[in-house]
Amino acid sequence: MSSPDWTESFRQEAAELFETLEGALLDLCEKPDDRELVDSAFRALHTIKGSGAMFGFDKVANFTHEFETAFDRVRKGEIAPTRELITVALAAKDYIRALIEAPDSTDTIIGDGILDDLRRFVSPSAVMESPPLQPAGAPAATDRGTDDDTAVAGWRLHLEFESHILRNGSNPLNFLDDLSKLGPCFAIALTDDIPLLDALEPEDCYLTWDVTLHASCGREVIEDIFMFVIDEMTLTATPLSRSDLSHPAEPAAQPPMRAPEPHAAAAEPPAAKTKEAERAPDPRREETKRSDDRAIATVRVQARRLDEMMDRVGELVIAQARLSQLAAASSDASIKLIAEEIERLAGSLRDTTMGARMVPIGSLFGRFRRLVHDLSRDLSKPVDLITSGEDTELDKTMIEGLADPLVHLIRNAIDHGIEQTDARNAAGKTEKGRIELHAIHSGAQVLVTVRDNGAGLNTARIRAKAEEQGLLAPGAELPDADIHQFLFHPGFSTAQTISALSGRGVGMDVVKRTIETMRGSIDMATKPGEGTTVTLRLPLTLAIIEGLMIRVGEGRYIIPLSAVEECVELTADDQRARGRNFLNIRGDLVPFLMLRDILQASGSPDEYQKTIIVSTGETRVGLVADQIIGSHQTVIKSLSKLHSDVTIFSGATILGDGTAALILDVVQLVALAQAHADKQHLNEAA
Amino acid sequence: MVSEYLKSKEAVKLPADCSIAAIREVHEMIRDAFGQRAALEIDGSCVDKADVTSIQLLISTAKTGRDQGRAVALTAPSEVLRNAIRRAGFAGDAAVDRHFAYKKDGI
Repeated sequence: MSSPDWTESFRQEAAELFETLEGALLDLCEKPDDRELVDSAFRALHTIKGSGAMFGFDKVANFTHEFETAFDRVRKGEIAPTRELITVALAAKDYIRALIEAPDSTDTIIGDGILDDLRRFVSPSAVMESPPLQPAGAPAATDRGTDDDTAVAGWRLHLEFESHILRNGSNPLNFLDDLSKLGPCFAIALTDDIPLLDALEPEDCYLTWDVTLHASCGREVIEDIFMFVIDEMTLTATPLSRSDLSHPAEPAAQPPMRAPEPHAAAAEPPAAKTKEAERAPDPRREETKRSDDRAIATVRVQARRLDEMMDRVGELVIAQARLSQLAAASSDASIKLIAEEIERLAGSLRDTTMGARMVPIGSLFGRFRRLVHDLSRDLSKPVDLITSGEDTELDKTMIEGLADPLVHLIRNAIDHGIEQTDARNAAGKTEKGRIELHAIHSGAQVLVTVRDNGAGLNTARIRAKAEEQGLLAPGAELPDADIHQFLFHPGFSTAQTISALSGRGVGMDVVKRTIETMRGSIDMATKPGEGTTVTLRLPLTLAIIEGLMIRVGEGRYIIPLSAVEECVELTADDQRARGRNFLNIRGDLVPFLMLRDILQASGSPDEYQKTIIVSTGETRVGLVADQIIGSHQTVIKSLSKLHSDVTIFSGATILGDGTAALILDVVQLVALAQAHADKQHLNEAA
Repeated sequence: MVSEYLKSKEAVKLPADCSIAAIREVHEMIRDAFGQRAALEIDGSCVDKADVTSIQLLISTAKTGRDQGRAVALTAPSEVLRNAIRRAGFAGDAAVDRHFAYKKDGI
């Protein structure tokens, strides 16, 4: 059995923490007084730091530590989290992400620059001020002294951590470092609890510390250092007066480092053994067990395993179909009974497995808050992002595939749709633009909507551009909706200037293609002056689809049922007029493709050919087959790399009798039909 | 691998990573070395990651040596290892001498 990839686990954990951190930082822009948000950001930072150190991401741990330290004044409420500060903090978050994803190619100069910015924001005159960890209104610094010898001039601390603390990613050495930033600090490590090698649990914490701290800070400042582990340690803090601290054993002139260990001559103390004996029931184990109990509600599973599981279920569904076929031909009632039972169980297992792959779309929506924040800043257009339907679930593969198209749509909405503030004021609109991101289930589909309250599409400009590019005859009458479809044409852009965001004419066609690859569709609706709504219609899953099985020659093929509009018989007239390759469907001319020709089927064609009318958006095409067999629950299997250049198939499936059927790629076939039609026009012209 | 240098008469060389991420393997390595040698010399010159767990392991090794009456020496600790030991509150030779009576190079 292969060992788990801890580094990958850390990356996954960090990805979730980044979402939490980013969400908290962005929320702070709106609610700068919300302490819970600040604490949430800090908890995420602290966990990233601890886990980073534990998994060997030292650069991450060090940078995050600096980040935490610089941001500390925000946590203490000494400064407000301004938008500028949040922007730098977001950049710091991005840098940590880069450190995790590509540690070797990340430039430390960038990180140093971010930290400098962060420090500048949290303490613009850091040099002039008292040490940042000094609490506001605290007594004068210890080295200046005080007239009152009985006042708190320092602390004697005893630190004892729970044994599992190191496994949580916490590092006591960092706590000691933080303490030494408050003032001269003398730590003494107590080694009595460290057992012999055979009894040593190497990841447990056995060391405890006695610390003498020369700092007149309040107790809460010390407790702040341990705030994330305070429930997992014993912190004893005894205030010391100046006279206590001037004990000759600890000269005041000593540098702020820990003093030599005083118990140098101590032999193995019996007390240590007693303590070990007390550990017999081993509370550490109990603690671990408790953690496991808490974690049982959710289990992190590698996406690859879910894919494998879905593959196995697919195999099972295929085997079950085969069994059902055999049972149907059998006269044995018990075989039929078992086949039905297996069919029921396989269906139930398929649904459960598909359910396990479903991910709430909210995990995707969360990413766009940052995008809107950054674009809003870069374009000086204040914009609110409003999301709804975050609980709507989609197959994880769909979620991954949706990210880029949605980024593009949101960019377009802010760059082209939302007007500048003065234009909005002039139009009587609110100063802030609004982007709404909405998801909802609709039958076997999920609708994802991106709506803006901007100026709407400029139909006249789109028309002019289409005419300029020769896509539309000048003055040709076309409904507005059809004119808007030109936006999906490759290389089409109405932007008057090319910016980093848009205007290069690359994008909307890619968005459309990506959505169609997921067997989805894209619609656009606009109202001048009110805004634009783009709706993506997506199937719930990509793993199993409803298909229409057809026969062409000896081979069987699957057409995704979602693309099928209707089936008609190819009449003798249509066949005689094959040179034209157009069908008359209730007055509309629809081009058709003879699948026998394309698939090079052998044998003679059936006497009565059938035409399946399929559509992709506005384009309809007829596919002529020998026979329509019927609907088929299709488990999609990828084609091998060897077949990657065969574009008219999007995959394959195994049928009940064990043979394979190829799944036709409707989008590619429609494109092929259009190319055929164009070629036919040329031939006729020649 | 561990077995290769255990057969040699050279010091047990601590790996570069002696942090919690790798401490179990280092622990096993030292235990194996103890099982095969009368005296143990631990070479810390290559260590570039050290934390509380590394320090605890070294002290446990020294204690075990004392317990079994066998010499344990820590030699040539790297700057990283020295730094971790200092940060943990073991400053000065006396503190280290207490655990490594046979120490060859000072901390």
